[in-house]
Amino acid sequence: MVPAAHPPPLRIAAVESLDDVIDAIIADRVIHRHRRKWLIALAIVVILAVVVLLTGGWKQKEGRKVPTLTAPVTLTSGRFEYSFTKAEIVRTPKTKYDEAKAELKVYFDAKNVDTEEHTSHSVSGELLRLVQSGTKDLLQSNGDNCRGVLGWELVYGLPAESCFTQFDIPADFNPDVVEVGVLGERYESDPSVLGANDDPYWHNELADAVIQLKPTVVVDNGEDK
Amino acid sequence: MKLYRPATVLVGVLFVLLGGLTRLATPDQVYNDESNLITVHGTVGARLKFGDSTFEVTRMKFAKTYLESSAGDDDKPIETNGVYVALEWDTVRGTKDPTSVDATLTADGGTVYTPVGGTTGAQVTFGEPGFGTTGAVLFEVNPSDVKGLTLHLRPTMFYNVLWKVVDVDLGIPSEKVVQQLVDGAADQYVMPKTVQRVAE
Repeated sequence: MVPAAHPPPLRIAAVESLDDVIDAIIADRVIHRHRRKWLIALAIVVILAVVVLLTGGWKQKEGRKVPTLTAPVTLTSGRFEYSFTKAEIVRTPKTKYDEAKAELKVYFDAKNVDTEEHTSHSVSGELLRLVQSGTKDLLQSNGDNCRGVLGWELVYGLPAESCFTQFDIPADFNPDVVEVGVLGERYESDPSVLGANDDPYWHNELADAVIQLKPTVVVDNGEDK
Repeated sequence: MKLYRPATVLVGVLFVLLGGLTRLATPDQVYNDESNLITVHGTVGARLKFGDSTFEVTRMKFAKTYLESSAGDDDKPIETNGVYVALEWDTVRGTKDPTSVDATLTADGGTVYTPVGGTTGAQVTFGEPGFGTTGAVLFEVNPSDVKGLTLHLRPTMFYNVLWKVVDVDLGIPSEKVVQQLVDGAADQYVMPKTVQRVAE
């Protein structure tokens, strides 16, 4: 290390012994030896902060990251192909014994397009969810209901079945447009690093699209249809 | 210099021994390890061993529609775009618990069929030890992939245990037989109630 041409003045206040003097000299050397590097590092941090601030900062991307589609629409998500057709709000008026209630029915045709496993499977409730306004969580449906059977197993290779799914909604639920989030499973394996079997299978559902439907209101008076 | 006290060394040795013990306890047959599963092959009408219980497919029936055993007069038969295959089964439980079992059908074309949801007879069950049970399990099947239809029975496994698998060849060797079965499908199949009896 080459000493500086003009060494800065030593900060020695009261000289008590030679040891103190030597200590003070060493301390001064240590402080000044890497001062330039430290200043440069600090300046880089400050510049980076300024650049990040000027370019909009680290704000999390807000809003929807999947496409919003308007019914009627056909889409493939995970191992199913859906054709969304219509939505119905079924209202049951208040009676002497029961409170007023309502449920939302979303109609769709579903086809099993599982080209990986060719296996019969039903559309589970967590794959179709109601997007609620505000910060409320997504509301799960009760799964597919085809041919009057809840949890109908869709067979690979057969044509699409017409089905509906149901959401429990409050009695005063009355939006102009309902939004249904469609989640699709992915055919992938668990990380074998963790000791799991590395055969792929359908899981890890992710949002694929949001379907907007205009609901019609149906009043259920308990009469036979 | 003394690095470790004897107690510390002892604890280390203990862990090594424990590791060895867990290795000894690892079962020979492990879930998903297909080569280690014991598969029992059979045909319709044969009483097959499933652990110390038994399983038999007594009858196979093709149908165009089906009705639940609990269906009332107002219930319409449930139709299909394919064809229904009903398999009537008979089980007798031994002393060991066979746990719950999954029934699936496979065909030569590679399609895997699972039982129709919502039905009373969506699965194969075992009664109490020494009791026999009869019932039916119903599948919706694609008529263009029926050849080589085989029923597979395997326990629903949540942990690593030794279990046996039953494969029942339903005797559909050619497309000609498929055509006969599909053409001869009954108009309606009424699911039988699951009935228990004392095994002889």
